[in-house]
Amino acid sequence: MFENKYKVFENVDLVAEDMKFVGLVGPSGVGKSTLLRLIGGFLRPSKGEVRLAGKPVLRPSPKLVLVHQSIVTFPWMTAIDNVMLSLIPKHLGRDEARKVAINALEVVGLQGFEELYPKEMSGGMRQRVAIARAIAADPMVLLMDEPFAHLDELTAEGIRQDIYNILFNKNLPLRSVIMVSHNLSEVLELADVIYVLNGSPATVVARVDIDMPRPRSPRDPKFNSYLDLMYNYLTNKKGRQR
Amino acid sequence: MTDAVLLILAGISATTSRVLGLILLSIVVGWFLSYYAIKSRLFENIFVAFVEVFESVPVISFFPIVLLVFVAGIGGPLGSELAVDFLVFTAVVWNIWIGEYQAFKTVPREMVEVSENYRLTFFEKLTRLYIPFSVPRIVANLFPSFSDGFFYITVSEAFSIGSKSYKVFGITSVISSYVIAGDWADVELALFLLSIVIVAIILLFREITKRSVAKYALDTDIPVIRRGRLNLLEATRRSGILSKNPLTKLANYNRQKKSRTAVDDYFEPEKKRRINYITAVIGLAILAVLVYGLYNIVSKVSYGTWMMLIGDTPGLLVDLLYDYLRVLIIVAVSMVFAIFVGYYFATNRTGEKIGLPAIQTFASYPTPIYFPFVFLATSVFVSSMFGYLTDEFFVLFLGFISTFYYVFYSFWMGVKAMPQEFTELMNNLDLNLFQKMRRVILPSAFPYLISGISATINSAWGGLMIGEYWPNIAGNKSLVVSHGLMKDIAVATASGNIALAAWASFIFGIIVVFYSIFFTKRMMDVSRKRYVAEEGIF
Repeated sequence: MFENKYKVFENVDLVAEDMKFVGLVGPSGVGKSTLLRLIGGFLRPSKGEVRLAGKPVLRPSPKLVLVHQSIVTFPWMTAIDNVMLSLIPKHLGRDEARKVAINALEVVGLQGFEELYPKEMSGGMRQRVAIARAIAADPMVLLMDEPFAHLDELTAEGIRQDIYNILFNKNLPLRSVIMVSHNLSEVLELADVIYVLNGSPATVVARVDIDMPRPRSPRDPKFNSYLDLMYNYLTNKKGRQR
Repeated sequence: MTDAVLLILAGISATTSRVLGLILLSIVVGWFLSYYAIKSRLFENIFVAFVEVFESVPVISFFPIVLLVFVAGIGGPLGSELAVDFLVFTAVVWNIWIGEYQAFKTVPREMVEVSENYRLTFFEKLTRLYIPFSVPRIVANLFPSFSDGFFYITVSEAFSIGSKSYKVFGITSVISSYVIAGDWADVELALFLLSIVIVAIILLFREITKRSVAKYALDTDIPVIRRGRLNLLEATRRSGILSKNPLTKLANYNRQKKSRTAVDDYFEPEKKRRINYITAVIGLAILAVLVYGLYNIVSKVSYGTWMMLIGDTPGLLVDLLYDYLRVLIIVAVSMVFAIFVGYYFATNRTGEKIGLPAIQTFASYPTPIYFPFVFLATSVFVSSMFGYLTDEFFVLFLGFISTFYYVFYSFWMGVKAMPQEFTELMNNLDLNLFQKMRRVILPSAFPYLISGISATINSAWGGLMIGEYWPNIAGNKSLVVSHGLMKDIAVATASGNIALAAWASFIFGIIVVFYSIFFTKRMMDVSRKRYVAEEGIF
């Protein structure tokens, strides 16, 4: 609830299970990004709580890392320095931190670009730097707020194809990903579970478990039937009632 | 001749070191104060009002404090040195602090979130986020601070209170000794060498500006200037030297140990900061000292003096109105100059290459040193043009040349830091100059402009303080206006009427506090909410 008593959410109950990619969809302005910030501890709910592995989340921590919709890279740091930022809480030695950062950059396909400044990179490369920074922090849960929104379709598709394998890599301690998007195809391509938010105050109108093998193709009839299902949830009059 | 050159160079070194050293001190202190200001609403209100008040009070108004604390209290060469340092510090510090505060206030929210996400400590946030983000605004303020520092140091290295004179070693005292001896050749030599040093410093500042805008401003298309092969800064980095030191390994070991025990506190509520109580205690102590000091001052002034001061107040307020009108004119002219010339320089490489160093050098050359020559050369012509308003014209002109560069630099820097996408969009839409200014450039440079206007308004008072009452500016000619609060303060100080000077400064300070709360602070908030160009593009 905001200070002006405007109620944003009501009865929102989400579970991000182990090794699941969770999608969060809903119309613009419904509160998807706000919900992600609540999950990350950047905002505190006026009622209810967020738990990570049974413990309440009371403030931001590297165990729940947020990848922003706006590509956040620090222009005064090179790609590797940007990634090393997330290693600060680990208090590694400089050489070790550098090794971890190089590895994270390799994971997102940026080997050889370590010393470039963000201004010298394309949008796709910069978002990969932000993802590498998030991965390097060894989070348990990765929160992604429309991470492909500012990328061109080809770049976004390229990252989308890699991202699942990158994130659920055996070498990473990541247990779950929660991604917000208003792009239904994008979410269907990636998610194991999709929560549909709608209404005002927003509530979860549906939980859809996706049962499709990977890689998923938008040409697959099953893909389209899931798409129709979610479209129905989003356009359902009931979902919009006040 | 060689002795004279050495003496002059020593004088210039002393003066320059004072100015640059105090600028550095201001920057470092400002980082900590600005950080605390953005974290505490209460401190922010006090800090901004405090900075505005002291920036607006002309440096010469600090003379009563200088007299009591440094000259009478400490005394001797140390007292005079501290008096000068205090006066120059008060001249350079405020716009740097406001610039840093403004930069800290406008750090994009996403960047703050990233720093929170990785649980950066206070020091890490400061060094990796806030300080780098503030660099473009600090360098934008280097030029005016340097100019202002030189302006006031020429006034304060040699000063008189009533019949007593105080001097510290520096270029002003060297020049003034040559003037007394009638040694004009050495005066010219000193002015020439001073020009060379000023130009060299300006060139250095320009290089720093170029590099810092390229590296630290968000999303400009200026290519990053990479370090050369030989880089003293990099080669002598503390971390590079210390990495071989066994003590560092021990420190790292301790830090690692500490981190392991601290990891699980992510799930604990944030501890209440003890610093708040400490700050409150310090604040209360300062308040108590101030109240006691105020009581002391008020109780020591006789009833008759109070009656006289209160009787003088309506006249002082009228004189203040005159001064506000002058400030308004100076600011309006400065803004027009800043917007058009600043935009031209920011978008025209050749114009900028030639014009900017010229303006920077001109602005840095201390006005009090050359203005008497300008007055002497032009007073007959100006008098034939303006008649009885001649002195008024000179005061406004002096105010303009001593302060226009604040808004000019800020606006120029704002346009330079504007995202390239904005420029491309304006060109794409084929907007004319007026449309570009109204729709994009002015809103985009708004935070910079506000900072610059605020500093120009506040510094204009310094120009007025010198110009409104300047006895024997050229031979037996004097520059005096009919009405003006700055004149009242200057006349009262010169005649030793410290009570009236302090009372007039006090009234002025009160007005400025209201101005700060109702104008500057509000405009800063608006600029934060609506006009952060860097947030428009990612």
